[in-house]
Amino acid sequence: MSEIFEGYERKYCELSDNLSKKCSAANLLDGEQKKQKISEIKIGLDEADALIRKMDLEARALQPNVKAVLLAKLREYKSDLNNLKTEVKRIASTNLNQAARDELLEAGMADTLTVSRNQKDRLLMSTEKLNNSSNRIRDSRKVMLETEELGVSLLQDLHGQRQSLLNANNTMHGVDDNISRSKRVITNMSRRMNRNKWLIGSIITVLVIAIIVVLYFKLSK
Amino acid sequence: MGDQIARAEEFEKKAEKKLGGWGLFGSKYEDAADLFDKAANAFKLAKSWDQAGAVYVKLANCHLKLDSKHEAANAYADAAHCYKKTNTKESISCLEQSVNIFLDIGRLNMSARYYKEIAELYEQEQNLEQSIVYYERAADLFQSEEVTTSANQCKQKIAQFAAQIEHSRLCVDCILLDQVLIIYEEIARHSLNNNLLKYGVKGHLLNAGICQLCKGDVVAISNALERYQELDPTFSGTREYKLLADLATAVDEEDLVKFTDAIKEFDSMTQLDAWKTTLLLRVKESLKAKELEEDDLT
Repeated sequence: MSEIFEGYERKYCELSDNLSKKCSAANLLDGEQKKQKISEIKIGLDEADALIRKMDLEARALQPNVKAVLLAKLREYKSDLNNLKTEVKRIASTNLNQAARDELLEAGMADTLTVSRNQKDRLLMSTEKLNNSSNRIRDSRKVMLETEELGVSLLQDLHGQRQSLLNANNTMHGVDDNISRSKRVITNMSRRMNRNKWLIGSIITVLVIAIIVVLYFKLSK
Repeated sequence: MGDQIARAEEFEKKAEKKLGGWGLFGSKYEDAADLFDKAANAFKLAKSWDQAGAVYVKLANCHLKLDSKHEAANAYADAAHCYKKTNTKESISCLEQSVNIFLDIGRLNMSARYYKEIAELYEQEQNLEQSIVYYERAADLFQSEEVTTSANQCKQKIAQFAAQIEHSRLCVDCILLDQVLIIYEEIARHSLNNNLLKYGVKGHLLNAGICQLCKGDVVAISNALERYQELDPTFSGTREYKLLADLATAVDEEDLVKFTDAIKEFDSMTQLDAWKTTLLLRVKESLKAKELEEDDLT
């Protein structure tokens, strides 16, 4: 069951990375492009929300000990998502004054996603990213091994099919020989049948002629 | 599908009548066979497998009287396929009859394939010993027809079941393990020559290595590992070889922790299947037993 959860988790991590990149990109843009990016980000945020809700349901359905761990993770993700939302709101505000006010008020909150001046936070963030990437590498290695096994079994199947095809080819040659032989036999039979037909026909005519001759002589005497 | 059943029963009755009465020119068997065929088809459409199977058996008898053995064997095989859905024993007996007829005619390929089917049916019923017997016969026939892939597949199944049977008997029978070992090594050797199969070699060598571990002879294990390296130069780079080497050293030093660690590492990448887990569990238990023995002595 927790595989479904892990699947959702992976998707959520990818999505949040994507969104934070888009946020920083949107920051640099202006005007129309900015609005486009912001709408994209909003769609992404909705997706992330849905994922979190699904993860919540999954986590609640599992065993209590696993549930506690997963719910803790989920709380972290929720706070990340909230941070992203505030970020988006800040970017969306075209009013410079408003933006400055938000920045002022934001500085008071503990924000793990914005670039913090604290070196310790930065180190923690980088180790977490390293862990994430090594997890992802391990997962991709697993997938690669599975694919390799699949490939091996495919090759074995192909080998078997190759042998049956060769066998069928050989059988076909045998069938070909048999067919030509039977064709010869049948033409022989038809020739003999024709010959017999002519023979019997000629014998019948000879007999009929003989009967007519005998009758003729009998009746004329 | 009531009408199908009615049609089928009608055909069957007509066929029986033909058989009972006196036919002109002795063609009654052929007509009866034809009607039986239609009846069986209709039963199959109506999904009444038992009746279909029974009619196919009658059809086979007709063909036998007509001396067309090939048709009879095919009819028995069809009967067996119908019975497969309901009654396995009938199905197996039909298949056996069909196989005998095919062996008579000399169609070893078909008989080998049907032996394999019988073995699979026994496998489904969990009757592993009978299943092994039939897989062996099938493998022999396939080998004589030079269809080595199917022969190898059958032999692999034999090896799998042989190991499983031993587990349920709770005794380590070295003779059976030897056979399994020989099977896997032969398959590996044969696969090396084939471009298509050579990627599966390391899997086979791993299985062979696990069998060696089960036997428990440490010297033989290291010899075997060397031999496998000679067979396949790329084997030493693979994770499988690393696992085998680690397990061999763990068994040598009788270190249970090392054993479990090596297995866990391998398992985290690719899941071990049921057969390997059974055998490795056996090795682990024997290792534990040895440790307990030593503790008793000390």
